[in-house]
Amino acid sequence: MGNFLGLVQNENMKIYRRARTWVMLGILIIVTLLIPVLFSMVDYEGNTSVWDSVVLSTTFTFYLCTIFSVIVAADSVAGEFSWGTIKLLLIRPWSRSKILLSKYVSVILFSLLSTLLLAGVSILISSLLFSSTVESGLFPPGKSGLAFTLQYIFCNYVNLFITVAIAFMLSTVFRSGGLAIGLSLFIMFTKGIFTSLFDPDRYAWAKYLIFTQMDLTKYLQSGEGPGGTTLGFSLAVLAVYYIVFLAVSWYVFSKRDIAA
Amino acid sequence: MQHEPVVRLKGVTKKVASKILVENVTLDIPPGQVFGFLGPNGAGKTTTIRMMVGLTSISQGDIQICGYSIKEHFEKAVSHVGAIVENPEMYKFLTGYQNLRHFARMMTGITEARIQEVIQVVGLSNRIHDKVRTYSLGMRQRLGVAQAILHRPKLLILDEPTNGLDPQGIRELRDYLRHLCHEEGTTVFVSSHLLSEMELMCDSVAIIQNGRLIDVRSLNNSSGEGQGSAAETAFLVDEPDKALSILGSGTQQGSLITLKLTRDEIAETNARLVQAGIKVYSIHNVTRSLEEQFLEMTGGDQIG
Repeated sequence: MGNFLGLVQNENMKIYRRARTWVMLGILIIVTLLIPVLFSMVDYEGNTSVWDSVVLSTTFTFYLCTIFSVIVAADSVAGEFSWGTIKLLLIRPWSRSKILLSKYVSVILFSLLSTLLLAGVSILISSLLFSSTVESGLFPPGKSGLAFTLQYIFCNYVNLFITVAIAFMLSTVFRSGGLAIGLSLFIMFTKGIFTSLFDPDRYAWAKYLIFTQMDLTKYLQSGEGPGGTTLGFSLAVLAVYYIVFLAVSWYVFSKRDIAA
Repeated sequence: MQHEPVVRLKGVTKKVASKILVENVTLDIPPGQVFGFLGPNGAGKTTTIRMMVGLTSISQGDIQICGYSIKEHFEKAVSHVGAIVENPEMYKFLTGYQNLRHFARMMTGITEARIQEVIQVVGLSNRIHDKVRTYSLGMRQRLGVAQAILHRPKLLILDEPTNGLDPQGIRELRDYLRHLCHEEGTTVFVSSHLLSEMELMCDSVAIIQNGRLIDVRSLNNSSGEGQGSAAETAFLVDEPDKALSILGSGTQQGSLITLKLTRDEIAETNARLVQAGIKVYSIHNVTRSLEEQFLEMTGGDQIG
């Protein structure tokens, strides 16, 4: 019945017809432009390469990108509940699973858009401001700046992807956008503290915690993470958490009684 | 009724924790009627409607819409339904038109022409491209009706549809529902606690109280010109005590004497009173309004 793409189109409409979304994307672009400019102002010796600039500014701007994606994810389901429109949405000839899936797809599309925007703008402004001939000290030998940068952005995206899944689940379970945003950002900012508290080198079980595995950039410098984990191991742990998060969202959303 | 009922509730029960919100409701709604669902606040009207559209699970029993169980074949069953459950909440940051496009995309075969037609019908042509944020409650109610009838459902469920409408809006809605029902054959299921409204709008009503169905009746709008049947009749007289002793029966309320009489008996009684020198100021039929019947049935019961 009907066309699933229509559902995704609806969800996209509900994201991009809001002024808020454009404010977020605008802020993201401005900050992404601003950071390399600031770098270029303090780089007196001219020994920063294009890719140095992209990687360094991305460490900063990706937080913004994650926060905005989390906001969109948190509002996707919780918003329908707080607006009361969930009652109109769920009485259409579509299963709840498909409606939830359409929401998730639209959230992922937004996160991809903002990531691509960030990467594109960052590379563009950096190549205008910095020299491409300077040797960088940031990257491991034998890797090109472009390859490293793309891998770095990809690792950050994985981190964002998992954080968004957490936000999406919390939004579905608690029907509260604020709670979902707060908790998932809490996880994003405290995972470093958790990792140092429960160091996988000291506690063997700690390597199964989501906090210690979300940051994959460690594998860009060496093949082995803390506690002797490999990239494959980290991805497997993340995949298990991811499946659990989505399964919980799906279960709660399909079973829930919609009351006022 | 010769037709299959559009909606069939079979022993429907809703329990939340240990509280029973709706208990063993069995009800058939025949096609082509405006069917009222009456009950005081908290009686289980909205809970029943939520179960009918699959927003809430059914603890026991089943609901069939056009022959499809809402539990087993949700998508097929609900495709015959258009509904507003409680307030007509819309996406406030979208225009009325975008809201309609949104819901049109979720159903098959809704053309642009149909959307325009519906906008005409609910009378929103002038404001449809404004953001819903700027709409009054009455306009949102109209937009709610518009999204509910977009796909020409066989069953239209409206929860408290006259809330927030001005008298003219209520009148228009009433006329439109009657039109939908009689011209297009849509079955309309309306819940309300506004009795006088229901009396004007509905062909039949079901009355629910404390989660139990207590009565289903059809409303004959030609209010009892029954020839042979006795009806409550009131006489307004100047000497009620004397009148009562002459008649030998009836109840007295101030200067009103009430008796159960047929048409011929009314004339006879009047003659007797007049002959006895009693002045009869007026004679009228005591037709109990739905409201009185409803209050009588539901008592002055507490919510809960």
